[in-house]
Amino acid sequence: MSGDDAIVLAGAAKRFGTHTALHPIDLVIPRGQAALLVGANGAGKSTLLRLVAGLCRPSAGSVKINGRDPQRTPEVRAEIGLLSHQTLLYDELTARENLRFFAQLYGLDNPDELLAAALAAVGLCFPSPVLATHERLNQRVGSFSRGMKQRLAIARAILHGPSILLLDEPFTGLDTSACAALHRLLRRFRQEGRTCILVTHRLDEAEGLVDRLLVIERGQRRLDQVLTEDSNQLRTLCAPYLDANP
Amino acid sequence: MRSVPFSCLVFAVMLVALGAIFLWVPTEKEMGIVQRIFYFHVPAAFSSFLAFFLVFVGSIQYLRTREDKWDRLALCSAELGVIFALIVLITGPLWAKPIWGVYWRWEPRLTSMLITFTIYVAYLMVRGYGANSAPVQRISAVLGILAFANVPLVYYAVDLWAADQQLHPPRNVELEPTMQYTKWICCAAFFLLLFRLIAQRMELARIEKAVALLRQKLIDET
Amino acid sequence: MSFLGRALAILRKDLKAEWRTKARLSPMVFFILLMLLVFNFSFDLGGAALREIGPGTLWSSYVFASLLSLGRSFADERDNNALDALLLAPGDCGAIYLGKMLGNFVFLLAIELLSLPFFALFFNLSLGFFLLPLLAVFVLGSACMASAGTLFAALSNNMRLRELMLPLLLLPMILPALISSVEATGLVLANECCEKLFPHLQMLGVYAVVFTVLSLMLFEYAIEE
Repeated sequence: MSGDDAIVLAGAAKRFGTHTALHPIDLVIPRGQAALLVGANGAGKSTLLRLVAGLCRPSAGSVKINGRDPQRTPEVRAEIGLLSHQTLLYDELTARENLRFFAQLYGLDNPDELLAAALAAVGLCFPSPVLATHERLNQRVGSFSRGMKQRLAIARAILHGPSILLLDEPFTGLDTSACAALHRLLRRFRQEGRTCILVTHRLDEAEGLVDRLLVIERGQRRLDQVLTEDSNQLRTLCAPYLDANP
Repeated sequence: MRSVPFSCLVFAVMLVALGAIFLWVPTEKEMGIVQRIFYFHVPAAFSSFLAFFLVFVGSIQYLRTREDKWDRLALCSAELGVIFALIVLITGPLWAKPIWGVYWRWEPRLTSMLITFTIYVAYLMVRGYGANSAPVQRISAVLGILAFANVPLVYYAVDLWAADQQLHPPRNVELEPTMQYTKWICCAAFFLLLFRLIAQRMELARIEKAVALLRQKLIDET
Repeated sequence: MSFLGRALAILRKDLKAEWRTKARLSPMVFFILLMLLVFNFSFDLGGAALREIGPGTLWSSYVFASLLSLGRSFADERDNNALDALLLAPGDCGAIYLGKMLGNFVFLLAIELLSLPFFALFFNLSLGFFLLPLLAVFVLGSACMASAGTLFAALSNNMRLRELMLPLLLLPMILPALISSVEATGLVLANECCEKLFPHLQMLGVYAVVFTVLSLMLFEYAIEE
């Protein structure tokens, strides 16, 4: 194993009772690579992300993040930012309280700066804060719209400056301007050399953001290809898999 | 079948135990014939605690190794422990009726046994109804450990609660040698039976799991 | 961030959310008042048997209110799967247990203290000098409830029939602590302090410590996937 691999799965599999969510898979994602993970509902995409994030324990095989097991050495989890399809936020707390709480859990020294940076990144807080946005931050998350919650959830995932990003359908619920902000953010992360696994079925959104395509189907890898600059490549490659499944 | 000689051994020891209880050991002076239930009651109590200990061992080992066999050991021991505890809770009142005049008293030993019994019944309830297929083994393992750790606390608390109501014959009572031997033979018979039943039940559980896996595979492939 | 620091951050978060919604305090105190009504008609509380059944009714109401409150304790974590976010943060997940446990301890103790005036009123107790030993019993009793209850709440969190399974699991497990709490409360109300009381307090202390330690060890298995 080379030291440049951010994520290494060796024969990692996940079973839930008798159901096999993910068949044993060997997967190496080098540092700085952005991979697009595509698959039908229930194909095992989320399970794969949760395995990488250390949220679930592999039934077989091993998962290594920067050469370390996220289950055994919890510190390595600080390297990971996960956006799940649920917001992972507390409805009863305000937006600011939510982010401050998670900043505390990560032991961040300058929560307010990071908070502002994370919010700016998702287009919620501009260098000179717009008053309306500012007010919004002091309201309960429960009162937010789906799109606002999604922006906050993204801000939460990137708050601690993770070097590995796991994004499960990040474009859900976002309007055009937020999508654009997210695009900018992901491009910047690529330039900074952060690793990323992006799960989305909106291939047009992923265009130009990723340099590798992984397709999984029923818990097994069907396709694994490094992408070139050809802009139509994604659609062509994915076509047989996206239509084949019910 | 490999287990046939073992089954024969269990059967033989059980026959010897029955012979000792009904033909050999003398009738107790004060209590009369009903005292013979003691030879079922006490070994059943020992066996149930041995089984609960096996639940504990199986649970710890499952969390450490994640091997299905340890989970099977915990499950099957819990089932048999509950059955043996039930034998204790049935034979006790049968003895108590002629001796104390009532079937049940809220007496420390009876109460602790009943609480212990309910703890393991709850454990089996979770295994039966509570868990989604995924975390059932892990959740049960945590429960199996807590349940066993709780047993001494139950005994201590119940003794504190009703120290002055102690009616149950003490555990370290002087027994006449014949009675002592009979007790040990019966314990041996019960332990062997327990092991035999656990082995049988574990094998059954293994087959059940294999069938479930095959069925799932069939569903996945169609 | 330190283990204790993270536990306290979670505690603060829970207290803040509770302060805002009051979802677990006021309904529970009201529930206890209702339980008192039920007990009154079941046992005729005003009668001479008060000393006998008083502690029992008190703790029965607390136990049922606690079960309801504990059942809610992971609701916030469950709603948007925020528990995942707690688990994603680096560090030992025992801190999550400790934070939630301290929160539950505060809530349970608050429920008990807030409903104590009702008992005093309806049982015609003049709360005098025995308030202090009674407070000790409440603190230790709540600690027992919270230590075992938090772990079982976490365990039942991803079970089917969650609302049913929590009481089924917790009640037999909590019985040793309940027995001693009732006995100790009875002794305090009968003005029999110190000598007889101490073993019961000791029992409660041992129970709380044993379950806290075991829970810290087992919590990661209780919530992992």
